[in-house]
This record gives sequence, structure tokens and C-alpha cells, in this order.
Amino acid sequence: MNAHDTRPGSSGGADTPGPLHGGPDADYTPEQLAAMSREELDLLGARYDGVEVLHVDPGPEPGSRMEKRAVRQVGWTFAGAGISAFLFLVVYAGSGWFLPEWNWATEGTTWSAMFNPLLGLFMGLAFTLAGVGLVLYTKKLLPHETAVQDKHDGSHFDRVTTGATLVGGLHNSGLARRKLLTRSLGFMGAAFGLMLIAPLGGLIKNPNTGNPLGRTSWAEGVRLLRDDGSPIRPGDQQPGSLETVFPAVPGGNLQSDAATMLIRLRPEQVAADRPKEGQEDFGYGDYVAYSKICTHAGCPVSLYEQETSRILCPCHQSQFDVTQGAKPVFGPATRSLPQLPITVDDEGYFVARSDYIEAVGPTYWNRERI
Amino acid sequence: MSTTNPQSDAPTDAPGRPVDRARARRRSKQRRRIANVAGLMASLVLTGSLYSVFAPAQAADDTSESAAEAAGRELYERSCITCHGENLEGEPNRGPSLIGVGEAAVYFQVHTGRMPLVRQEADAPDKPTIFSDEEIDQLMAYIQANGGGPTLPSGNLRDGDLAEGGELFRLNCASCHNFVGEGGALSSGKAAPSLGDSNDLEIYTAMLSGPENMPVFGDNQLTPEEKRSIINYVQTIKSQADPGGAGIGRIGPVAEGLVIWIVGIGALMFGIFWMGSKA
Repeated sequence: MNAHDTRPGSSGGADTPGPLHGGPDADYTPEQLAAMSREELDLLGARYDGVEVLHVDPGPEPGSRMEKRAVRQVGWTFAGAGISAFLFLVVYAGSGWFLPEWNWATEGTTWSAMFNPLLGLFMGLAFTLAGVGLVLYTKKLLPHETAVQDKHDGSHFDRVTTGATLVGGLHNSGLARRKLLTRSLGFMGAAFGLMLIAPLGGLIKNPNTGNPLGRTSWAEGVRLLRDDGSPIRPGDQQPGSLETVFPAVPGGNLQSDAATMLIRLRPEQVAADRPKEGQEDFGYGDYVAYSKICTHAGCPVSLYEQETSRILCPCHQSQFDVTQGAKPVFGPATRSLPQLPITVDDEGYFVARSDYIEAVGPTYWNRERI
Repeated sequence: MSTTNPQSDAPTDAPGRPVDRARARRRSKQRRRIANVAGLMASLVLTGSLYSVFAPAQAADDTSESAAEAAGRELYERSCITCHGENLEGEPNRGPSLIGVGEAAVYFQVHTGRMPLVRQEADAPDKPTIFSDEEIDQLMAYIQANGGGPTLPSGNLRDGDLAEGGELFRLNCASCHNFVGEGGALSSGKAAPSLGDSNDLEIYTAMLSGPENMPVFGDNQLTPEEKRSIINYVQTIKSQADPGGAGIGRIGPVAEGLVIWIVGIGALMFGIFWMGSKA
């Protein structure tokens, strides 16, 4: 056997009948095929693929007025697409050259406002006109044919013969008899599997080691810093104010779990303040500090209404009352914002007295156990 | 000054008495009493004359200062006293005390038309200003003189670093006012207003005084330079063109997504159905 004989009736690409006959080459000699016209060959090929052309609606008569009009329409549409694409390039490359410079500055606002829309307009127009041209071309100039193709569905014959082929493969491999091969293959497979999986083992570890979700960078004596790194004295804020503060550790203002709101209460708020039980001494004077991370879904809660003492979360409208230990009073949050115990150090700057006594942010399944 | 004069007069009177006693020790107590009374009378006369010398100057100062204050008081008693009380002490369930709010708060509340309030509701909405600039100055003078508090800044209020202002705005202001100052909703019908028609001084005084539910940003929290940077950012971003052609309220991806879903995908669906019906 050689490669040429694998397909019945094939001559391996040569235009001469092969030694094994069958299939179309047996039915049609090269001479017969050479005598046929292009249309006949097309239909014949389709028939051998199970396709029968029922009806052909030829396009417009060549040279007719109808054809000329359709050609003009399609041609101008394609030309329009080309012009639009070219105008895109003109706007894109010309800005700052022979057209005004596009920029974000406040001057030259008309051109700045038109630059992007013009780019979009011309690119969109180019694609739309190209599409319209293709549709017009297909509908007005190409012949339309109606064809039917046989659907192939598996017969009983196909199922039986395919099954025999598969079973024949297993039989020929001889694996049922050749135990050494079976065992060595099994050993090889197991070793290969281990080789591929073992490096992934380095990725498997306990994510709760060291309780990363329950701890932040706040600790005893860590100063409260503004975003620009400056420390804060109790005299810096006015009553009824809020400042977002971060721990004085390297990269502290980039740690998403450490952001804290330092709030100075107004005298009326101090009078109404009812801290959480056991946390009465967490504040300092009229200052209190609460985590900025919502206990529902972890959004930053800093929409502070200083008259109503409410802190709002912008994501799901949870509201926390600052004078009740940041207890949730509205919305989906179920836990109070954790309070950071604060005091003032020797130099008069705010410091934390310890880390948060509970995990900040949303609840997780084993939060209470870590 | 008038209180120190009798004391300073008394010692000049005192040396006379030992001299008298040295000359005639047998003079009666009555004479000493007469001398005391005479000394007292002399000191009173001296005090009175000194007071009449100094007092007119003080009185002249007082009247020149209080011309604006008096006009302010008149305006106050006509438009503000109902809620804020006779002595700026506030009225329970009507209006807060104005002691210590300063002219900054007066400028913001009156210039944006929030005060006088039409009725008590969730918010004090901004309205067309009902006082003229001169009347606002008079009100500010009256409140500043009687309550004290933060004063108006001077100089160019946009004299600050634009990029730093943007960072400070996003850190301190954007949570309520949106990242380009379009405002947003708060709880129970309240809302953080858009900064679209705020002038420099209104933004500055708002930060300084913390009107309504807005937190206060004192000068030790945001320095005057930082406040100017923020104002520069807000006013610059307001005057910039929308690079996409349409800002769609400039409230970000929600509005943009809504428009592309409804208008963009709507147009695509229309095209698809049209092509399907033609095929």
C-alpha cells in the first residue's frame, strides 16, 4: 500500500485514472470532462456533493442600463467609504499640523470637542459605506440561485462499520495481550502526570496563614498620617470635619484595608455619642476613628453628613451612625464599621493604640474563627 | 482706660495726707474725712474730664464701623431673626446659632441663595440671590462683629497647583460631589450639589464653613494653598470640552453604558431586523 491508494478512486492528484477505479474518475474520463463547459462542470461537481441547483436568477444583462446604474451605485458607495477613511487620516494626522492642535487645555475648546467625534464619524462612515457597498453589490449585480443539499444522517450501516473500525484498532494494538506494554504505559502515564502537576503544588497554601484578612498595618504607636504623609495634631481639624488617614508604615497610603476616617465631632454630637460597649475609650477627646471600608461589600464609605452624623456608602446605600459606634442604620450592611483606638503620642500627634480589634471590610465565612 | 484713671489718680492724692499730718497732728478726724472726700471728688472730676477727652474719639470709631453693621443688623432683623434668634443664638428646631460661623458662612449661604430659607426640608436648595452684594457685605459685617469666625480669603483663589488640586479633590470631595463636581445623592432626600455654577469664593467659603451636611475643612486640614489648588481644578475641569463629544452628564460609566446599550445596541438591532426582513 502507498499513500496514493488511501482514498478510493483517487489518483493521488495526477490527471490520469489511477490503477484502482471507482468514484467520479471512473464515471468521467478526462476527455469527457474537457468537453464540458464551465457551467456544466460546476453543476456536476455540486451534484456529486449532494447539492442540486433548482433555480438560477441571473444578474442584470451585461451592458444593460440596469447593470450600469447598479455598477455606478456600488462604485460610488465604495468610493465614499474610501473618502471617509481618507478624511479620518486627514483629521488624525492633520491635527497640530495644518489643523488646530487637539489638547485637553481650556483654550481651543471647539476643536478639542470635535476631534474625537470627527474621528469616530469618519471611521464609522467608512465602515458603514463599505458594508452598504457590499450589500448593494450582492443584491444588484450577482446572480441569485436556489439550491438544495442532502442532509447527511448516520445510518445503521455507518454505526456498525465505525464501531468495527474502533474495535479493530484496539485489537491491532495488542494491548490486551502485551502486559509489559500496558504496565509500562501505565507507569509512564503516572510519572508524566506527577511531573506536570507537582510544580503546581507550590501554589497550594493556606491563605489564612498569619490572618491577613483580620489584620491591618495599624499597631500600637503607629501615627495617623494624611495622604501626603503629614501627621495630625488634635488642633488641626474643625468640629464637624473628616479626614482620611493612613498608617505611618512604608506604602501605608496604598494599603486598601488600612484607610481610616478620622472624624472630629461637633459638641452636640459629643453629647449624643454612644460608643459601642467596651469601646468607650477608643476615641480621643472629640475625635473618633472608623474604618473607611464598608462592612457590606468593601466600598469606601466617606460620604459624611456632619449634621445627621451619618456616613453613607455610595455602592449600596448603607448608612452608619457615627454617634452610635458607626452602627448600620440603613441598607444592606449588618456590622458596624470597626473603630480604631487612638490616642496622642509624646509629640502631640495622633497614634493608634492597637490594630483594629476586628477584621475590617466585608464578612467572610470563617471571619469569627480566625 | 477710664477704669485705670481713678487708680492712677489715687496715689497722687495719697502723699498729701502724710504731709498734713506732719504739720498738725492734732487735727480732727473730720478734717481727714473732708480731705478724703475732696480727693475722691478731684479724682472723679479728673476721670470724667479724661473720659470726655478720649471717649469722643472712640465713639467716632464705633459709629464708622457700625454703619455697615447697623445696616446688617437691620437686614438681619428683617430676614434672619425668625430662625437664628435675636442674639444669633439660634432657635430650637428652626435654625442653628450663628455665633462663630463668621462672614465666610454668611457669604456662602446668602450668595448662593440658600438663605433665607423658604421652608424647612431635607436640603437648603440654592436659589437666585435675593440680597445685593452690598447687602451681603453688610450682613457679613454684622455677623462677623457679633459672632466672629472664619473670614473671607483674599487674592487669586485659583492660584494653586492643578494636579495637586485634582488629587485633593478626588480624596476629599469626590465621594459626594463626583470626580468632576457634578454632585450626587445623599441620604433621605438630601443631595450634594453640583459645582457647575459655583464661583471661586463660594467653593472656598463652603470648604471653610462646612455648610449644612458638608464636613468642615479648616485651614489646618486643607491649607489655603490646597484650597486654591482644589478651586483651580474644579474651575478648570468645568471649562474643558468633553473629548468624547457629549459629556452625558459627566457622571461616568453608568450613563455612558446606558446610552450605548439603549442607543447603540438599539441601532444595531434595528439594522439586524431590517436586514433580516429584507433577506
